[in-house]
Amino acid sequence: MECAFDAQNLISISLRKIQSSRTQRGGIKLHKNLLVTYVLRNARQFYMSKNLSQTQRTHPYEDVAAVRERQEYLELTGSFTELADDFYCNFTGAESDTWHCGAHQPHGQPAEVAHQDASACAMVAPSDSDLMVSEACWSCADKSSWELPIPNTQANQKTVLDLDTHVVTTVTNGYFHSDCCAQPKQPQGAQCYAKKRKMDTSYHIVDPEFYLPDFGPVPCKRMRSEDDSHSDSEQLDSTNISNLISVLGSGGLSEFVSWQQTDLEQIFAAQTICLKHTLLTGSGWTRAIEAF
Amino acid sequence: MCRPGGGSSDVQWCFSQVKGAIDDDVAEADIISTVEFNHTGELLATGDKGGRVVIFQQEPESKNQPQCRGEYNVYSTFQSHEPEFDYLKSLEIEEKINKIRWLPQKNAAQFLLSTNDKTIKLWKISERDKRPEGYNLKEEDGRYRDPNTVTTLRVPIFRPMDLMVEASPRRVFANAHTYHINSIAVNSDYETYLSADDLRINLWHLEITDRSFNIVDIKPANMEELTEVITAAEFHPNQCNTFVYSSSKGTIRMCDMRASALCDKHAKMFEEPEDPNNRSFFSEIISSISDVKFSHSGRYMMTRDYLSVKIWDLNMETRPVETYQVHEYLRSKLCSLYENDCIFDKFECCWNGNDSVVMTGSYNNFFRMFDRGYRQDVTLEASRENSKPRSVLKPRKVSTGGKRKKDEISVDSLDFNKKILHTAWHPLDNIIAVATTNNLYIFQEKLN
Repeated sequence: MECAFDAQNLISISLRKIQSSRTQRGGIKLHKNLLVTYVLRNARQFYMSKNLSQTQRTHPYEDVAAVRERQEYLELTGSFTELADDFYCNFTGAESDTWHCGAHQPHGQPAEVAHQDASACAMVAPSDSDLMVSEACWSCADKSSWELPIPNTQANQKTVLDLDTHVVTTVTNGYFHSDCCAQPKQPQGAQCYAKKRKMDTSYHIVDPEFYLPDFGPVPCKRMRSEDDSHSDSEQLDSTNISNLISVLGSGGLSEFVSWQQTDLEQIFAAQTICLKHTLLTGSGWTRAIEAF
Repeated sequence: MCRPGGGSSDVQWCFSQVKGAIDDDVAEADIISTVEFNHTGELLATGDKGGRVVIFQQEPESKNQPQCRGEYNVYSTFQSHEPEFDYLKSLEIEEKINKIRWLPQKNAAQFLLSTNDKTIKLWKISERDKRPEGYNLKEEDGRYRDPNTVTTLRVPIFRPMDLMVEASPRRVFANAHTYHINSIAVNSDYETYLSADDLRINLWHLEITDRSFNIVDIKPANMEELTEVITAAEFHPNQCNTFVYSSSKGTIRMCDMRASALCDKHAKMFEEPEDPNNRSFFSEIISSISDVKFSHSGRYMMTRDYLSVKIWDLNMETRPVETYQVHEYLRSKLCSLYENDCIFDKFECCWNGNDSVVMTGSYNNFFRMFDRGYRQDVTLEASRENSKPRSVLKPRKVSTGGKRKKDEISVDSLDFNKKILHTAWHPLDNIIAVATTNNLYIFQEKLN
């Protein structure tokens, strides 16, 4: 419980860093934000696996082998239009070229789930009372839970942080559940996705290089969307962006790009980037940022 | 003749000078952001967050005090970069000087490159100690004379004047970097140089400002697939076709410009496997390389990540030949360091003149030297308390165990606001420049 809180704390801190980087002088620091997303991913991975292990302990009759064999891939969708409804996070990395667990992968071998050895935690000396309680405390982690490929017993799952209350919650199909470790998950209408969906962004990206005078204009890239049915758009209320930041897992820069999008929208408000502000069903505080 | 830098086993360091304000209230503009000796060591340049460059010049050794090397005094100060605003992107461009690199001296003037996040400038620093007098058409104050009043002609002559050091921008290399410039490096051909930002490296000719060649581009087609950025780049000291760049993943790629115009494919990649026992939430952060420096010989290179310094043999890519732990006691504090952003600090490192000792900074105004030959290391402190002239620096020690000895400092007592990120070693002599937040300390080897 304490370690899940540590990860939760790290997620909160990381998201605050990303948010504050938007207002820093000199613009967003790409390097720093990339590193923060790695911490986010690690913390989220730990948090999710912790929740999963708790779930499994409260379901003694569940066939663990069946759970393991399901090998559901939680995949992050880059499509903001799908963010509210459909959220995946790719944990295995074996088939995703966007996932990178950061640990050294032996050459020639497929990437594995980041194996966090229980003994690998940063040791906290008992006398370090001044340290944050949320020191990386992986020694508490159930090692078996790390070794499990994280099955998606509940598809369309998303970990969401409310920056106002700093509560981390798992949202399933638009319905959120308070993340108390003792409470079992209630999958509702979960759909099993065996096939990995490509990260897709159905929004206009205007590369910063577009404005480099010496290099000439770069055409806007419009990414195709598999479900490109959205035709309406709303101007984003930029002040509401800070109310919620969805934790986007997976490798690399997904999260940073989402911020880049929101940054760009101020610049390209009159152009093709529009961010849609959607209210998730049943939860006034969970709002996803969508773009089309 | 100056002795080359020796090993730390027989060198005692003593305080020489400190530059900067004594005031504890540090103005952000005065925070030193880069330090660099020129090729002879006569000049020492610093850049700060306010966009200023201050150049110190070493005074000739005094015959009266042969035991003491010449002091460094202010030679020139100029505003290199100003804050700018990119109206198109609604972004402010900081004036902070990220790097200074000296060009080798070809004539009486000195040249250096300075860069902020977006623009590189070539500066000429020249002396003027004479001025012409006796113009026929101009008065001494510069006003033009009425030609009708000129009745005789004379030949203007040069008369001595007080030494004036002028800094003038000779070239401005702009609009070539979308992302933040982190490195500049002058090629050994002394005609070209490279500039590196987070995702690209460009090759410039010193005389040409309106174009550059992109030689490395790691930007993915889809930015969401980005997993690493470029953190530092450096040209080989002898081979003008070779350069290296480090990444946030802890890898170093060596590229040969003869192989292709675009050096996306590396000639060599240096990477050490991560120890799985040390895996933590912050593994990616602490493995990110903050600095890379070739040895003077060109056979080795040194990298600095958050906790260690590694020496690589260019002939072996699989692992470093030497690893020095700078402040391993911080490994258990990573969470706190993450929260207060210290974990993102980018420490630099440097070689001494004969590549036998390496130096890097730490917290609490500590800096560390590692003697490669004798396998010894020492921790020293740059502080005002130890700033009596020619006072010998006492080695410091951080207590990592439960029991703290008399002169040791506990990890919890370290001041993480006092950090030494930038250090420089005189190319020929045992003189070092160590930058604390807003002060520049100069230490010398104690001479008997």
